[in-house]
Amino acid sequence: MSSIPLPAALQRDDHVAMEQKANRRKRMSRWFSILCVIIAFLSVVVLVVLLVSISIQGSSRLSTDLLSNAHSELHPEQAGMWPAIVGTLFVCGVCALGSLPLGIGTAVFLEEFRPRKLELRWLRHRFPDQSKTWDKLASGLYKSIRGFHSFIQLNISNLAGVPSIVYGLLGLSLFVYMFNVFGQIKVNEASGWEIAGAQHYYQVLSLESGQVVLIPQTDRTQSTLTVESPTTGVTPDGKTYEVGVWEPGSPKPTDPSVRRRTVRKGAKGGVFTDRAWYYFRLPFDRSFLAAGLTLALVILPVVIIASQEALRAVPPSMREASLGLGATTWQTTRDVCLPAAIPGIMTGAILSMGRAIGEAAPLLVIMGAAIAKSTGPQHLMDDAVTMPVLIYNWAGRQQAVYQELAAAAIIVLLIVLLLMNSVAIYLRERLSHV
Amino acid sequence: MTLVSKLFCNGMTLACITLMLTGCESKQSDSTDPVAPVSSLTGDVKIDGSSTVLPISNAIKEKFSEAYPEVNVSVAGSGTGNGFNRFSGKETDISGASRPIKPGELEACKEAGIEFIELPVAYDGLTLVIHPENDWVKQLSIEQLKKIFVGSDAVKKWSDIDPTWPEEDLKIFAPGVGSGTYDYFHEVMAKKDKAELRKDMTLNEDDNVLVQGVAGNKYSIGFFGVAYFEENKDKLQAVPIINPSDDTAYLPTQENIASGKYAPFSRPLLIYVNAASLNNAQVQTLAEYYLQNASETSEQVGYVRLPEEVIQRGIANLDAQKTGSHYVDAEGQSRSGSVADIFVEANRVE
Repeated sequence: MSSIPLPAALQRDDHVAMEQKANRRKRMSRWFSILCVIIAFLSVVVLVVLLVSISIQGSSRLSTDLLSNAHSELHPEQAGMWPAIVGTLFVCGVCALGSLPLGIGTAVFLEEFRPRKLELRWLRHRFPDQSKTWDKLASGLYKSIRGFHSFIQLNISNLAGVPSIVYGLLGLSLFVYMFNVFGQIKVNEASGWEIAGAQHYYQVLSLESGQVVLIPQTDRTQSTLTVESPTTGVTPDGKTYEVGVWEPGSPKPTDPSVRRRTVRKGAKGGVFTDRAWYYFRLPFDRSFLAAGLTLALVILPVVIIASQEALRAVPPSMREASLGLGATTWQTTRDVCLPAAIPGIMTGAILSMGRAIGEAAPLLVIMGAAIAKSTGPQHLMDDAVTMPVLIYNWAGRQQAVYQELAAAAIIVLLIVLLLMNSVAIYLRERLSHV
Repeated sequence: MTLVSKLFCNGMTLACITLMLTGCESKQSDSTDPVAPVSSLTGDVKIDGSSTVLPISNAIKEKFSEAYPEVNVSVAGSGTGNGFNRFSGKETDISGASRPIKPGELEACKEAGIEFIELPVAYDGLTLVIHPENDWVKQLSIEQLKKIFVGSDAVKKWSDIDPTWPEEDLKIFAPGVGSGTYDYFHEVMAKKDKAELRKDMTLNEDDNVLVQGVAGNKYSIGFFGVAYFEENKDKLQAVPIINPSDDTAYLPTQENIASGKYAPFSRPLLIYVNAASLNNAQVQTLAEYYLQNASETSEQVGYVRLPEEVIQRGIANLDAQKTGSHYVDAEGQSRSGSVADIFVEANRVE
């Protein structure tokens, strides 16, 4: 009966050794938990050190000037970042409008509309044909749908790791130039396909210095106008008036109101385009719209992957219950899966918008390093200054004032980011109790 | 159902908030004198080019906008080379440059049918800096600098340049390869001999890093724009450079740069104006304004003013719309020398 020897561990009856071993294991466990706490603490310390050093450096520049003024080269002590705040909100708004619907839609397609044997059955049902070739064709078609599906999945995972500057270059040809399909935006020449909101005039200097007359343009191909005879001008609010011509040599009019409406004979005028806020044109050129859409590309993979995770976390039983009650896939997605996944999707959206707001590289490629704009974008095709680009520029300046301004601007950027996130978290809380 | 409509509603609220924000921002910074008659001049001017010229253009834009609030001037600074690329692609009206146009860029402009007016606006000096406690270097000649900076066999220790100097390793800090400053230094030091600058320097695009680097090591040497040195005078020491034409060493002071004595390390900053754009009243007005205010403005932002006669020649060229470059001769070769010598009517090639 006792032919099988007991294992060595059970044979030993050394209580002291056993206790030592147990103590050692417990000590290891304790050490490990302490290590984890230290590591977690370290990352917080780094963040705190960063925040403290930035606030020390930038606190002296945190003023209403910073929030209300524009960048100033001549008076750096009064420089501000209001246009940059507005610009960032616009760019991020376009980015959210572009990436969230697309990203969530793609996630729904990948998770909820996975190709199942169902499609194959549907194919066979729709085209009842018993021949072998048809069978092969149908299953081939089904396999290619599955292949397409996993191809998209693979691409999305890869795209999440592509550096943002590469997206900047993509955005440059895709949105800024649109592969030159709609022509190029050139000074003194064509301006692409203007679809809405543009009024073209010739602008000619009048005799009164600093004042101009506007003459409506009739032929879009003629880029300069030479005034030889009296013609019709318009005021900015649309009233027409007679534009007089003064011939050099003859007595010059003296009355300012007449001088304002008179131009020198042979005076030349270039085209001026009056743009309404809805001015729309293809290609987008270096506008905030192109920048926002490029950022949307940057964060799209992140949004898709986060939304996929969220949808995957919805218990299959809920889905099956819904389908079992006779709901279609669309009804199940709309009324069961999406509401349950909304908190997760929103978390992904918050994280990705956080990335978008701090992104500088693609914006530098798309809009250039322009920072001296004194207002936010005035029309859809206008360019914009953004906070990361402004900080990048200020931090590289030699004057100490700009270094401090850069630190202060970072604080403002963090506050704007926190505000945006809290709005999103508030929305998430409300939506998850639908 | 409710979810989708709620999402939509919340989205609309956000959009409304954003719209309200823009509403109050539009006419914000019009702080013009109410007595002065506001100009009705309007339209767009697009400027791109050197990041060195950017502060001048920004400052000019700032002043210009006070006199002509309706004109929308957009100033970018994506670099001299990139700027010329956009200029020859007819994307900009004015291009800033921290070096004269290169023959290739001139060719690109000609191919695109662009005529331009070349206008020098200010001087920038390139400063060689050492640690303030460095007491052995009193001045440097071009030959000594070539020993330090040029070729793969460049010296490793200070004593290799002059046996009386300490036998310590040289630490070299220089601007990044993409910067106009590096280009310019390379052109002065190595281009004629068809040589390259040494590769084992610490390169950085951020001039603050260079300042920190030189200030932190007694045996270091570096170079960057004079404006940066002016801001960091307390941490660094500038090296007088021996002018090859009169064998005297000069410091990069305002006077020495303006008089051309600080050679060969002072360079002109220029703007190139598309001649076709001058038909637009706003570009014409801005270009004139730029030249009239160039000297004062460039001093305000840390550069050195050009001799008044050079500015006047520029104004005359602008008035007469005399196009073409002074820096590329008829054979397509670059000229080099001081601005006052090169920027003359006889050198202009259309």
